[in-house]
Amino acid sequence: MTSLADRHARFDALVLPHLDRLFAFAMRRADARVDAEDAVQDACVRAWVAFDELRDPASVRAWLYRILRSVLAESAERQARRRQLVDITRLDAEHDALVGGDADVVFEEVAARLTGEEVRAALRQIPDDFALAVELHDMDGFKYQEIAEIVGVPIGTVMSRISRGRRLLAGAVLASRAAASRDAASSAAPRGPRGGAR
Amino acid sequence: MSDWTPLARGAEHDPDEVAAREARHGILIDLLGAYVDRELPPETAAQVEAHLVGCTRCRRELAVQQAMRERLAAEPSVGASSALRDRIAAAVAVTPLPAPPPRRPRLAPRTLAIAASALLLLALAAIFVWRAAGDAPAVVRVEQASSVPLLAEVLADYRRVTAGDLPGRARDLAAVRAAVPFEVEPLQAPELRLVAAWTATIDGEPSAVLAYRAGDRVLLQYLVPEAHLFRSPAMRAAIGGGHVVTAQDGAQGLAAWPLPSAGSILVGDLPAAQLARLVAVPTPLAPRVTRGAE
Repeated sequence: MTSLADRHARFDALVLPHLDRLFAFAMRRADARVDAEDAVQDACVRAWVAFDELRDPASVRAWLYRILRSVLAESAERQARRRQLVDITRLDAEHDALVGGDADVVFEEVAARLTGEEVRAALRQIPDDFALAVELHDMDGFKYQEIAEIVGVPIGTVMSRISRGRRLLAGAVLASRAAASRDAASSAAPRGPRGGAR
Repeated sequence: MSDWTPLARGAEHDPDEVAAREARHGILIDLLGAYVDRELPPETAAQVEAHLVGCTRCRRELAVQQAMRERLAAEPSVGASSALRDRIAAAVAVTPLPAPPPRRPRLAPRTLAIAASALLLLALAAIFVWRAAGDAPAVVRVEQASSVPLLAEVLADYRRVTAGDLPGRARDLAAVRAAVPFEVEPLQAPELRLVAAWTATIDGEPSAVLAYRAGDRVLLQYLVPEAHLFRSPAMRAAIGGGHVVTAQDGAQGLAAWPLPSAGSILVGDLPAAQLARLVAVPTPLAPRVTRGAE
């Protein structure tokens, strides 16, 4: 039977190296830094209590994400949904115009120049299931099978969500750019005479 | 998934071929992400490559997948602060570990026989007491929640609280227990999951509030000082007679019942009768307040 000191040492060695990644994940999914910190703390305490359930140390990162995701989901249940979802058909339409050849856009250049805020805004605009799958793969570096275990869906669903998620993100980016261009054009347009006809 | 190669010369005018090609696009488009991520089996990846040779649209889609993936991967990561690390270390240090399952003592056959007899006697006695007192606690319905000030205030607080973010978290249960002068034990119904706990002042009295998730609904349980529950004559008469009191106000139902050291009111957007079924009352309720106490 391991002593408490051994358990602490094992916990520190296996869990603490992942704190930065866990916090970054929570930051993307929480409304405020303090909420992200609370969620990571909750997840770590739960991991400590359930540490004996971790059979394979090699899977500790996915195990921790699964716990953190559960904490964040409970938190989201308590809070009003604050994602600024955009009509999904509008995002599909922007994406279709891009790949269908009607849009005169080199998307690689657009994507490479996106600011961090634009990336975060796009992630907030697409449904959470898609954003989560894309983030876990592209930003957190999980393989599809690991994502399937974290999220609790078949691997085929992960495959579909990542593909669709990136398409919707592209649509969100293009929709935001188009809106910004329209705003700029309208503010640059010459104004009519003051006190015009009523 | 066997034919994603480019169309044969002249086939681009064949409506059947064009329709079939569009259908294949529908399947393929969901595989392009996995193709970019090298998550497809070699045979499937080879079929995708064959299709890409002759399909401009899918090549553009592939570029979108690659560009989005590269941009997201380049997003810098924020790190956990040293203060958070300290907080976590402190929280872990004071978190008790679950007790290991108790070892079952080996009992001699004679001891087992005596224990079995005792259990049988206890079970028979429990059945006798239960039957003597009647079946499960009956439900008394109050026509209007507003006729009982406590229920009216609980209902108003429920509506106010559930209009925004809940003010507590599940882990606050220990702090809530420490803050009120009565026992706070969450309901144990399998369909309920505790999601938050906080303290409130209901009708001028310190109260504990537990929030549960029940399917897609949030239910709140208000725990108030025992005497507070019996303040209303209507509640005294109903609960004192061994009943769960229910009331309905529009979409919201309420169920009130006494606990060993507190009064409890469960409220939520459910029929009151359904709420009453979530209330675990282990034994028939004994009268707690007599008329003479008024």
